[in-house]
Amino acid sequence: MNTAYNFAFFDEGSKREIRRATLKAIAIPGYQVPFASREMPIGRGWGTGGLQLTLSLIGRSDVLKVIDQGSDESVNAVNIKKLVSDTTGVITTDHTREATLIQSRHRIPEVPLNKDQILILQVPLPEPLRDYEPSENETKKLHAEKEYSGAWLMLFEQIMKYGSMTTGADHPVMVHDRYVMAPSPIPRFDNPKMHESEALILLGAGREKKVYAVPPYTKVVSLDFEDYPFEPESFLDKHCRLCGSTGVFLDELVDEETNETFYQCNDTSYCIEILNEVEPFGVK
Amino acid sequence: MKLDIVHDLQSVYRKMVDSTSRPGLISDLKKEAALIEAEDNKGCTPSLLLLAQTLFDQEVSFKVFSTQADTVTQTINQLTYAKPTETKNADYLLILQDAKKGSLEEAIINAKAGTLKNPHTSATIIVEVDSVTSGEALLLKGPGIHTTELIFLDLNENWLESRQEKNKEYPLGIDLIFIDQHHQLLSLPRTTQITRNRVTV
Repeated sequence: MNTAYNFAFFDEGSKREIRRATLKAIAIPGYQVPFASREMPIGRGWGTGGLQLTLSLIGRSDVLKVIDQGSDESVNAVNIKKLVSDTTGVITTDHTREATLIQSRHRIPEVPLNKDQILILQVPLPEPLRDYEPSENETKKLHAEKEYSGAWLMLFEQIMKYGSMTTGADHPVMVHDRYVMAPSPIPRFDNPKMHESEALILLGAGREKKVYAVPPYTKVVSLDFEDYPFEPESFLDKHCRLCGSTGVFLDELVDEETNETFYQCNDTSYCIEILNEVEPFGVK
Repeated sequence: MKLDIVHDLQSVYRKMVDSTSRPGLISDLKKEAALIEAEDNKGCTPSLLLLAQTLFDQEVSFKVFSTQADTVTQTINQLTYAKPTETKNADYLLILQDAKKGSLEEAIINAKAGTLKNPHTSATIIVEVDSVTSGEALLLKGPGIHTTELIFLDLNENWLESRQEKNKEYPLGIDLIFIDQHHQLLSLPRTTQITRNRVTV
């Protein structure tokens, strides 16, 4: 632990400001609360929003897990983990069940979260209406008036052009029947995990200076139409080539030599846990 | 041992996060409250000082309802640099146990509820009560609550109706935090729907 820095990097004033914004965010699910967003030793847009939330929350007894697109070992995750554990001395883990704080870029872990955990999502673009309305003043007005026809129209246009909703990641959701919210670029596969989640979900956008929240047991509905229902990515008939799991989010990979397509768990720690479970007994 | 403003206030904050994200969940601040030294808390209870130190600084305004409002206001201002102001402008309203009857209602009615564009500019009301584990039975519903949550709150005020009236145009409204004599904390954000749980025999 590096004692030249304050505990959790921030001065107490910065933490207080983020904490006040976070408490308001929890009280108004899905509403983007502006906050000051301090300069961080990593670039804006590289997870500073999530990092600031993590630093404002973390205490000495916490256990931290950081993932980037399902991986515990990618550069972004490793650097954030290092910064937090250097300035706080907390233990980090790869195991989802052991963690009390989980900061994540673009995935919700496969292992269901429990009530003692807080999921912190890094958000690049918190405004779900930004695609068609560039003005912040205008989008705030649209949220105030619950005027979301544009959000549906965007999906409608995709259906007209391509025959289905083509959002991929960041499919907009309606929170507590009031706010349309960007769930951060998690795949559609993860959207249902936000609905009535057991864990508190906090979302932080550092560059855009917004924090918002989905409290536990809150209604989160992905936007769709009666005749074009929301559909998560389907991995029917596919399984992970390493651990054999089905029903999880899989990455599609191509072997460049044989041109063979295969699938692998996107959540690497989940995959390793399954492998370690299976191996000692020699059977699947 | 003295209160550590880094670690002890972090733990108070996490308990506030827990209680606010799960309305009805009662958090225990006894451990942190015991660290507040008697000579520091002129007119304030230790748990009130804990919340003030966790949330207040020079960017925040507050208003105290108490028979000793002046002393308490001065204590909090000197400790946190938060600015005392009028009810309708305050970010935080503190209703102390010795406040005259009707103060909570008055605070709820006059507190700022935010605007439709900026609902986060609303007030948070911190209320000292006898007990958050005994008294009138109230049934809670809303985000953060699985099905329903039953709480017991000891309060002789007609605050439920005023709160309901104030919070009727969601997302506008006020958030309530209760702390009791035993340093137990209960949080009722604006999304929580409260009904009186009348037992019929």
